[in-house]
Amino acid sequence: MSANNRAAGAFRLRLRAQPALRLDLAGLTPGALAGQSPADVARCPLWHGNETVPLGEFFDVSALAGDDATLVFDGDLARCDGIGRELDGGRIRVEGDVGDYLGAGMRAGEITVTGSAGMLAACEMAGGRLDVAGDVGDYAASALPGDMDGMRGGLLIVRGDAGARFGDRMRRGTALVFGAAGDFLASRLVAGTIAVAGEVGAHCGYGMRRGTLIFAGPQPEPPPTFVPTGHDVQVIWTLLARSLAAHGGPFAALAVGRPRRFVGDLAADGKGEWLLPA
Amino acid sequence: MSAATIVEINGITVDDTFAEAFPMKATRVVVTAHDATWANHAAVAMTGFATSVIACGCEAGIERVLGADETPDGRPGVAVLLFSMSGKELAKQLERRVGQCVLTCPTTAIYAGLDADAAADRAALGKNLRFFGDGWQISKMIDGRRYWRVPVMDGEFVVEETTPVVKAVGGGNLLILARDTEAALGAAEAAVAAMRALPNVILPFPGGVVRSGSKIGSKYASLPASSNDAFCPALTPLAKRTELTPEIGCVMEIVIDGLTDGDVAAAMRVGMEVILERGAAAGVRRISAGNYGGKLGPYLYRLHALLGRSEA
Repeated sequence: MSANNRAAGAFRLRLRAQPALRLDLAGLTPGALAGQSPADVARCPLWHGNETVPLGEFFDVSALAGDDATLVFDGDLARCDGIGRELDGGRIRVEGDVGDYLGAGMRAGEITVTGSAGMLAACEMAGGRLDVAGDVGDYAASALPGDMDGMRGGLLIVRGDAGARFGDRMRRGTALVFGAAGDFLASRLVAGTIAVAGEVGAHCGYGMRRGTLIFAGPQPEPPPTFVPTGHDVQVIWTLLARSLAAHGGPFAALAVGRPRRFVGDLAADGKGEWLLPA
Repeated sequence: MSAATIVEINGITVDDTFAEAFPMKATRVVVTAHDATWANHAAVAMTGFATSVIACGCEAGIERVLGADETPDGRPGVAVLLFSMSGKELAKQLERRVGQCVLTCPTTAIYAGLDADAAADRAALGKNLRFFGDGWQISKMIDGRRYWRVPVMDGEFVVEETTPVVKAVGGGNLLILARDTEAALGAAEAAVAAMRALPNVILPFPGGVVRSGSKIGSKYASLPASSNDAFCPALTPLAKRTELTPEIGCVMEIVIDGLTDGDVAAAMRVGMEVILERGAAAGVRRISAGNYGGKLGPYLYRLHALLGRSEA
């Protein structure tokens, strides 16, 4: 039996050339492909625009050593959407940029992207870990269009910048942005923790109901609908800061500070908080 | 005394008998505060009136003092162990004691102190106490653990939502039979100091020592337990059955609760070694243990075996 027909648990999918239209990779999870042969994987149908084509039309598929449920994508996948969508276990590694809906609705497992992601990354993510070395587009960690709840669990790490509406309607989980964040950061936040190390855009915390925003770098001026509370928050701050310190960089030394705390958005429920440690 | 094998060390006889212990449910919580004094105030209060499950609902004690580098929030703390006869009773006692003794104590926070898998039984810690916040309480999930932040007059009370409950062992014991009160207390205090240095155990009675050892039952039908007359020096010449001889003027008991069988055994061994090390010159004549003929519990700690003198 040739290697191409031998069942495997891990695969490398190398994109030969950028597709002419958007390519939908939703459902292409390590769990779904485990136990198949590279030839079987190459026959998987993918939506390309409004037609389905075999995966092998775009990707070279090879088996990887090891039985761990793993998928490695290689190439410029900026037109490939839905990578890791609804992921419920296993690991996906993307060596390059990816399109929209990266890790949308994922419940468990791990996704690592060495490049940048498009819009709606980690939207409605419920568990697992998503690590993007580059930037993410608008509406990351938010809700799918028309839905009421955004990210609801897990850990999202953005090592570059984030677009607008990061964490819109987010209700649980932790999201870190090592770089800057766009306008309407944490808008309509229901709960969860967002930590940002760079500059933030306009209307930060707009309509924030609960949840925590931590500013590890530049300290923005809270808007008039956020008010200071004078009490000692050192206990919860230490718990949060120690947790974030594991991610290093600008978050490594947060615990030594004593943050100022503002609550708002008073125009909404007013139980959200900004922690400004510098 | 019914000694089949005589073991005598430094002039002290170790009875050929066993301590009998029984299964309990237990948890560990970590109380922290602004400084060690306030952490201790809270821990002392929450472990008060927790000497025996006979009438206290639980047995509790300070396991050890924690440095700021050992606690989740970087403040000084105290590790507290609580034991009860059922998970339900443990949960009830925990909620009352945390609610009345830790929530009320300035600057404190309280966390689960046991590592357990997700499937482990858990008791509420802040899960219900959060309602003291009257709607202003805030939940925070950090690394998969949920904390509640309840606004109080000194700031906010941070409490972890639940704490794991594990199977444990209660009722390990040693009986110190001595010449007089001074000798019995001296031996008990030395043993308690050494036993309290061990992890995973508490000695729930005042100062770690109990002078009113009990037997199961009573001539009075309403009492579940009564004085252990076989070890009361006042009854040596009177009781139908006595374990004492005339030269024994005072008996003290050390009761041990531990998270595991091995923890109780280790504490009993250390306690005996300390007493034996001091020798008969310090006034101790015998070491014995309380048992109920194997009727009370499945854990039997044979004194000779603990000292490595068992022929079995």
